[in-house]
Amino acid sequence: MRSAKAAPKPWDVIYYRASDGSVPASDFLDICPPKVHARFLAVIDDVAVAPPPRFSGGGYWEAMHGSMAGYYEVRQSGPSREQFRLFCILENGSPEELGRRGLPGPAIALITGMRKPWMTKFSGRDYRRVLDLGTEHLAQYPRRIKES
Amino acid sequence: MLDTSYHRKRSAQRLLDPELRLEYDRARRELDQINEVMRALDELRVDAGMSKARLARTIGRNDAAVRRLFTAKVNPELRTVAAMAAALDAEIRIVPRRRKRRAPATDGDLVKTG
Repeated sequence: MRSAKAAPKPWDVIYYRASDGSVPASDFLDICPPKVHARFLAVIDDVAVAPPPRFSGGGYWEAMHGSMAGYYEVRQSGPSREQFRLFCILENGSPEELGRRGLPGPAIALITGMRKPWMTKFSGRDYRRVLDLGTEHLAQYPRRIKES
Repeated sequence: MLDTSYHRKRSAQRLLDPELRLEYDRARRELDQINEVMRALDELRVDAGMSKARLARTIGRNDAAVRRLFTAKVNPELRTVAAMAAALDAEIRIVPRRRKRRAPATDGDLVKTG
């Protein structure tokens, strides 16, 4: 019989804030169709409760590869099979390292999102924009995030 | 320390919209079920003392693919899930939450042809 362990504390979900004050992931979610927006929130909350390496996100949460290694994307389809992607980075490390980043604990950092028509691909330039924002996020100590 | 409560507050505010709330709750239920199946399979695997590599060999898949499945790095395909369940001497079942009551057949239900 498996011993019952106390569920670990869910990870925080944080939103990267650009130098101009904009919050790309939040802005992206707000222009998504309501159902897509809701499903993004559901997947993110699900992963925050059971972060990797546990299985969560129901297959909508995927690790990216190649030039995007280190990033995760949440994938959703909208009306007319339009494709929506939310790009995230996991913030984890020792308490000292997290403290250096200004974080009280591990977190999922929402960086930005993109949309594309069905059966099309994002260009290298599109991904470059995501990488630029992610790189800027990771360069900030403490992290520059949207606070209440 | 930074204030990390924005997401909770943002979600609480956005989910006041009934359409968003309905879809959010529906999605959470769907995710719970997928997660439960995958976690149950992983527990069976551990209880059986079977490595992911051996499970992969048993179902004729490469071990990296199975490893990725259990860490949710790829979308689980039903046929792979079914094959893993069979390899672990288990099966997947669909359990209706509530059974629809079927009305007794009457003459009016018959489709008359010819």
